[in-house]
Amino acid sequence: MVTFLFRRLLNLIPTFFLATVLVFVVIQLAPGDFLTPARLNPGISAQQLQNLADSFGLNKPFVEQYFQWLWNMLHGNMGLSFSYTQPVLDVAWPRVLNSMKLVLVYLVLFYAISVPLGVYGAVKQYSLGDRISGVFFYFLLGFPSFFIALLTIFGVLKLRQATGWNIPIIGMTSDGYDQLSLLGKFWDTLKHLIIPGLVLALGSVAGFTRVLRGQMLENLRSDYIRTARSKGVPEFSVIYKHTLRNAMIPFVAGIGGLLPGLITGAGFVEVVFAYPGITPMLLDALGAQDFYLIAAFAILPMIFLFLGNAISDILLAVVDPRIRFN
Amino acid sequence: MKTRTMKSVLVLAAALSLSSSLAAPFVWPAAWSADPASSAKKGGNYNNFTISDYKTINPFTSAEADSIPGTWLGGTAGLFQQDPTNDGFVPFMAESMPVVSNSGKRFVVKIRQGMKFSDGQAITADDWVTTFKIHTDDKVGSNSYDSFFINDKPITVKKINEYTLQFDFPQSSATAYPTMSYTPWPDHVFGKAYSAGGAEGVKKLWGLNVNPSEVVSPGAWTLQSYSAGQRAVLKRNTYWGEWNKDSAGAALPYLDTVTLKIVKDQNAALASYLAGELDVYAPRNADDLAQITKANSSGSLKSTLLPNVSPAATSQWITFNWNKADSPFKQKLFRDVRFRRAMSMIANRDAMVQLALGGLGVPTYYSVYPVFKNYISDSAPKYPYNLAGASALLAQLGFTKKGSDGYLVNAQGQKLEFTMSTNSGNTVREQLGRIFADEAKKVGVKVNFTPIDFNVLVGQLTAKGESRPFDAILLGLSGGDNIWPFGVNVVPCGTNLHSYNNPTKGGCLTSQEQLMTKLFYQGDSTVDQAARQKIGIQLLNTEAALQPVIFLVGGSYHVAYNNRLGGQYPRNLMDSYYGSRNVVTTFIK
Repeated sequence: MVTFLFRRLLNLIPTFFLATVLVFVVIQLAPGDFLTPARLNPGISAQQLQNLADSFGLNKPFVEQYFQWLWNMLHGNMGLSFSYTQPVLDVAWPRVLNSMKLVLVYLVLFYAISVPLGVYGAVKQYSLGDRISGVFFYFLLGFPSFFIALLTIFGVLKLRQATGWNIPIIGMTSDGYDQLSLLGKFWDTLKHLIIPGLVLALGSVAGFTRVLRGQMLENLRSDYIRTARSKGVPEFSVIYKHTLRNAMIPFVAGIGGLLPGLITGAGFVEVVFAYPGITPMLLDALGAQDFYLIAAFAILPMIFLFLGNAISDILLAVVDPRIRFN
Repeated sequence: MKTRTMKSVLVLAAALSLSSSLAAPFVWPAAWSADPASSAKKGGNYNNFTISDYKTINPFTSAEADSIPGTWLGGTAGLFQQDPTNDGFVPFMAESMPVVSNSGKRFVVKIRQGMKFSDGQAITADDWVTTFKIHTDDKVGSNSYDSFFINDKPITVKKINEYTLQFDFPQSSATAYPTMSYTPWPDHVFGKAYSAGGAEGVKKLWGLNVNPSEVVSPGAWTLQSYSAGQRAVLKRNTYWGEWNKDSAGAALPYLDTVTLKIVKDQNAALASYLAGELDVYAPRNADDLAQITKANSSGSLKSTLLPNVSPAATSQWITFNWNKADSPFKQKLFRDVRFRRAMSMIANRDAMVQLALGGLGVPTYYSVYPVFKNYISDSAPKYPYNLAGASALLAQLGFTKKGSDGYLVNAQGQKLEFTMSTNSGNTVREQLGRIFADEAKKVGVKVNFTPIDFNVLVGQLTAKGESRPFDAILLGLSGGDNIWPFGVNVVPCGTNLHSYNNPTKGGCLTSQEQLMTKLFYQGDSTVDQAARQKIGIQLLNTEAALQPVIFLVGGSYHVAYNNRLGGQYPRNLMDSYYGSRNVVTTFIK
């Protein structure tokens, strides 16, 4: 196992360097730089533009900038954000935490909905419920999540107008959040998280449910299930302990992909719900060409993906008795 | 540490000597508010917004137009402030107007005594000197760096005693008062960091993750809390209220708190305003006005809407490139004043106002925004829409007959054709460009109008050399003041935005450019307002005759605020430069 992981790590080194080159070159290819808008300021002097370019290191040759960045990164320093003039990680960390909250709520809702549905679809194959849920979630799968988000906001607004309930739609906390008790703060945030979390979960349930249903069906028809049933194992145990556990194996391999998702946020849903996650910040950074902030968010998920894949491998070994790293 | 003890000793001495009568406060004139001071109520929260998140609380690294340190903490602290009733400067943190000597280059300013930062420490001359030092350190990269230099020569700020400052300008300057009115930041915070860690020490302070209690403000507001991407809450600085009173003698500001909500875009802000969650909004266009009117008349919103308060402080223009060594035909054409006058006559400004701005705007002919009325002269030449006139001018240039495709050609068979770019995604500019191209076609000028990426466009515009990479660019500028409304980066030859002529060596090509450069610096160094306005008008006349840049249209400034607010400017003081209210005299009814 240890040698396997070590081998994986060695493989990662060239991948990592190639990725950094790619990230750096692609961002550099975009025309203009962080100071482009400043050049259109009728009051700014050439000397001041020069000062700023010097202090951001934008005057140095491209190759020098790259190696400087790489060197700093290997020492755990992701660089300084131009627009915030603070270390990239300090700037991004509060946003990452916010995104993590949303992604966690999303994941909980996602599994709470899709696992039972997948099991139900397999156990009650071709029943009316199976068909309806299949059609419904495939329908949702067909929409981009930000569009479902817009429809949801519209619906909730109508509901608010009709009932007078104060359902929070946008943001992460209410005004006056600072005055709330600890429990009040938790509840306030959760109220804001449920709707965007649900939108994210419902939009992506279909794929997972259908694959899980297929896996379940395949396993339900296998010999060891028939054996278990003939031994008199209770049906609940047959389904959840024997079948589901085996049906889940392919998904465990995919858990590695979830880890970068925790820090890269929930994409455009954050923008639509005016949620203070990482995506709105990244979009601003792209617009402003805030170089090191963009670069950090291209590199960090990659590192997390490496880690996630390693964790997947370990988990697979735990879940699947057929896998041994020898 | 030493200065701090010194400071407290002196403060104590000052306090003792003043124990019977405190220094006179600054009284906010009743004329600056539409409501009498007696009707004002204390307390409450004011909901404002900002587009895109704040970047820092640090006043030395902040670069945005709308920032917490610039707009809120420091926006209400400075030696002088401009009086919106007459554009003049009045003493604010200064006790009185300065003593001027050395032919208008030396200013000795007495500081109002008894002022304190939000942490209770006295505000003294050291704070101004330290702030000046940090702003002018090029390693800090402060946005205010430029304002402390005149023609690359630095201004000096000297402490005479705890409550007296001496400013020495390298030459007399029109902007002396706004320059001296920079916000004093606490020496006991920034001075300490600067002497310990230099520029880096200052830059590290007051990032967004700062503990709000560490933020020390000289102005009316101080930071209560900030949550990333959501909101910043400011609270009243009670020490400020000790030297700021309304005309009835009550301490300002009236409000307890100001909540600044961070919204992603203008549409989201409009939606919040319509829902009553924001107290103010600046409508952009006819659509915004219609939605607010609808909400007001349906009774779902009780707000005041004032359309077309004044022209906006923005411009839209077309510039032609005089540096086209690679195409002598175009270079000769663009350098000919008759061609540019013809282009101004092609611009159907009324149609542009109607179609691109929904009727909410004004035609413009000069670089000075129409809101700066004192610098606009009706005697300056104008070349309004006149297609026949344009054809006649183009005929003088040898374009007398049209080719088979309907476009003008000269005797050498060269077609009258050029490319014009603007930044893609700006719908107003795209429409302006299309209207221009359509009108040009009527007289036989082929305009290939192509919106391109903003950054590429700016790169082309600010390129230097004998062959710069564009024919014509349609773009806009904003920013500037009513003290000397000509851009230091625009008018003088060789500067970055001298967009029509920018050869490698940066020299002027025409005598008018030389005259404009001279007049620019002359006006910039004229302290007397009336004399300066005269120079400005001469500059405007020269520019209008040369028509280096064809000005098109400017938008309008509209005001909308919730009826629960009081204390805005009287209607005749509102404009796009001064805005619609002082938040310190704003109250909740």
